[in-house]
Amino acid sequence: MQVDFDYIVVGSGATGAIAARTLVEAGCKVAVLDAGVEDEQYKSIIPNKDFISIRKEDQQQHTYFLGNKFEGIPWQTTKVGSQLTPPRNFLTELTEKLIPFESETFKPMESLAKGGLGGGWGCGCYLFSKPELDAIGLDESVMRKSYEAVAEHIGISGAKDDGAPYCLGELQNILPPPKLENNLKNIFDAYAKKKNKLNKKGVYVGRSALALLTENKNDRSAVKYKDMDFWSDKDKSAYRSWMTIDELKNKSNFTYHKNCLVLKFKETESGIEVYVKRIDTNEEKIFTCKKLILSPGVLGTARIVIRSFDYVQEQLPVICNPYSYIPCLQWKMLGKETEQYKTSFSQLVMYIDENKSNYDVAMAALFSYRSLLLFKLIKESPLNFADGRILMQYLQSSFTIAGIHHPEKPGPSKFIRMKKDVHSFTNDILTGQYILSDQEEEINKQRENKIKSTLRTLGCFPLKTIHTPHGGSIHYAGTLPFDKSNKPFTLLPNGKLAGTQNVFVADGSGFKYLPAKGLTLTLMANAHFVANNAMINE
Amino acid sequence: MQKGNSIYAEEAERIADYLIGVAPGERELNIYSEAMQILNIQFTKYEQELWKSMLKSKWRMACIDGGLALKEPNNNARRKLFCMLSILETSPAYIDYFLSKSFSSFYFFKLMWTATRAVCRGLTGLFLIKLIKIKCK
Repeated sequence: MQVDFDYIVVGSGATGAIAARTLVEAGCKVAVLDAGVEDEQYKSIIPNKDFISIRKEDQQQHTYFLGNKFEGIPWQTTKVGSQLTPPRNFLTELTEKLIPFESETFKPMESLAKGGLGGGWGCGCYLFSKPELDAIGLDESVMRKSYEAVAEHIGISGAKDDGAPYCLGELQNILPPPKLENNLKNIFDAYAKKKNKLNKKGVYVGRSALALLTENKNDRSAVKYKDMDFWSDKDKSAYRSWMTIDELKNKSNFTYHKNCLVLKFKETESGIEVYVKRIDTNEEKIFTCKKLILSPGVLGTARIVIRSFDYVQEQLPVICNPYSYIPCLQWKMLGKETEQYKTSFSQLVMYIDENKSNYDVAMAALFSYRSLLLFKLIKESPLNFADGRILMQYLQSSFTIAGIHHPEKPGPSKFIRMKKDVHSFTNDILTGQYILSDQEEEINKQRENKIKSTLRTLGCFPLKTIHTPHGGSIHYAGTLPFDKSNKPFTLLPNGKLAGTQNVFVADGSGFKYLPAKGLTLTLMANAHFVANNAMINE
Repeated sequence: MQKGNSIYAEEAERIADYLIGVAPGERELNIYSEAMQILNIQFTKYEQELWKSMLKSKWRMACIDGGLALKEPNNNARRKLFCMLSILETSPAYIDYFLSKSFSSFYFFKLMWTATRAVCRGLTGLFLIKLIKIKCK
């Protein structure tokens, strides 16, 4: 059989883009198969200006701040993706129709967008420590090289401060951190004053490591502090996976196939057949390749693998960081005006490492609140809207949000299951269950209490703890856990799918543990590692 | 205001007057009208009675909104107010009512008064809501 490509990469998200780039750079003939949903509505109408100037000048701002269909005015929404701003809504477009997921206890967010969920990434970069990588099932010595390669490609800014051991590690080529806004500067100053006392308790605060440029890089600009990061990517200062895909499109050994939903694969003597259903015409098509790299996201990979093995196993484990957030008031900023130019991303991170082992670290990313608009905050107050507005306008500059991801391990009540459904686009549907044990709930509560206590020490008064439904962290892993024994429905340490000759998985399906720190950088580094492994016998 | 949208004009004016004490411009009236047509908010009989009562005066609107904020924050009668609030916030003409700014120390006393008033409105609202519920039975 004459195969179409050397490699087919499924998906264009954080991992697919890096895997494809690694293969293309090595000279292989690569195709990315992707649903490739894009924003057709908003990209062109958002002005290339800062948030305050837009608010003061643009008469049409309601069309993107509230949405063409007013979808940006949330009311009793429990729908997946409801936290996205209207210009980011395309990230979850068509998922309910094409890749449905049903569960009362697990509400994951998936994407069929070009660039995947990476299009809404908060850009937080965390290099995992050796104990964390060991628990995941990855080898630190080989991952270090991949971390460097990814950092070099995406551009990471950060500071070698107290937080560095938890996010930057020994990473070289780091750009200077973005400027710190006043609200978070007060917290950082308070930390500097109480540092010794806090360090003894295992508390460290440092600048966030971000995939955000502070110096120009190729066609991407250094951050211009427009505070529009949740709405547009005009300057390309924040890294998005679609940028890598667009860069690859200029290469002769790369092709991007849009509108393709991969259903399953079949290994034959001469290569791999990849079965695709087009989302625009419903037409079914077969692509062929020598090797296949699966990276449509953990749940997407699970669907493809279960189908490819004829549903012999329908249930797989899953892990997902529990996520909660704590809105706080910072006294020093009450009634003050916030600066015009800032970034919307988290700029400070608090780490609680009581054992000083860089393992099972509790972590809170600190954000200020402005560009998501005041009316959403007003709704959260137990007051009438008119008086609530007056109070919230005064409090607005003092709001600090602490976003907490908890570390997570597999458990008997955390799984996904595929079932046949003739009415669905793919003739099946994914379901699942996610329930924490009482002990896990208790540990998470204690962790949150420690974070709240530290926030108070730093001059922030926590208002309440809001727990998002399981799945809300958008960090999923562990469906095909790493295992050296070649057991079905596992991955070998090099990323190869057990029971296959030439199928590799480049997303987080193999991760057996999720640290509290965001995993996107590690996912990309793993994708780089897996793509290199796939080329070994070439 | 565009022809055919005038049915929403009166309520839009009353809501804006309640929320920030201004008469909304034509732009805001048109957007509100468009939002109401797209969102198509449906009221139950109880919500309809609440809404009718709220439109009677600014004071009633504030009290019932406050009562609902305490007991039924997702009641549809509040949704229309919320839509108008978001429209006003995204209008360049009214950004001074929403963007952060430096407030004088004396502003704190205004805040105390606002908070006290909000609590009183909420409690009065609870009483009014109870009366409307009885009326609906």
